[in-house]
Amino acid sequence: MKTIKDLNEKKIPIVRIDNSLEKYKTVPIFQEKVDKANEVLKTVGLPKLTTK
Amino acid sequence: MKLPRYELKAEKSLRVFEFISEGPKGKIPKLIKFSETTLKGFYNLAFGDKSIETGEIDDSVVSNNGDSEQVLATVVSAVYSFTNQEDEAWVYATGSTKSRTRLYRMGITKYLDEVKQDFLVFGLREGEWEDFEKGVDYTAFVVKRK
Repeated sequence: MKTIKDLNEKKIPIVRIDNSLEKYKTVPIFQEKVDKANEVLKTVGLPKLTTK
Repeated sequence: MKLPRYELKAEKSLRVFEFISEGPKGKIPKLIKFSETTLKGFYNLAFGDKSIETGEIDDSVVSNNGDSEQVLATVVSAVYSFTNQEDEAWVYATGSTKSRTRLYRMGITKYLDEVKQDFLVFGLREGEWEDFEKGVDYTAFVVKRK
């Protein structure tokens, strides 16, 4: 049986689904930051991916 | 990341997460959201405190609950969860203030070797993306699963 410590050491967490959070998908929270991200996309674009 | 972290709840698409910070200031609900941007596959990561009274979210409040490392570890675990299903996603983040951005930079720096095992990590400096390096003052960050 896995202990809490074992579970905590997994990189991908166990997530409990809570349908009450659905409403935040459409509410424009953190909109100021999203606007800034869009501005960075517009002016800087994406990082260049190089193959090594 | 082998740090203690809080239990996460999320809606079923895993774009909005919630957890409860616990410390000297009591129990503070926090919300994490991966928001779509104008570019498909590029998401803004932000998190903040959820008011128990109004349900409103504030990403500028400094809660001083003595658990900032555990909070950051929990946010990182949400990034793992989100990018586990959106494996081509770019995840962008910046702080709401310079000091908050610095806190994020310190968090990435502290666990950089581990983070780089799974993610490409870039920092924004003087209008250009660079491979994230320790000790450099970036204004924003973006990660992508390898």
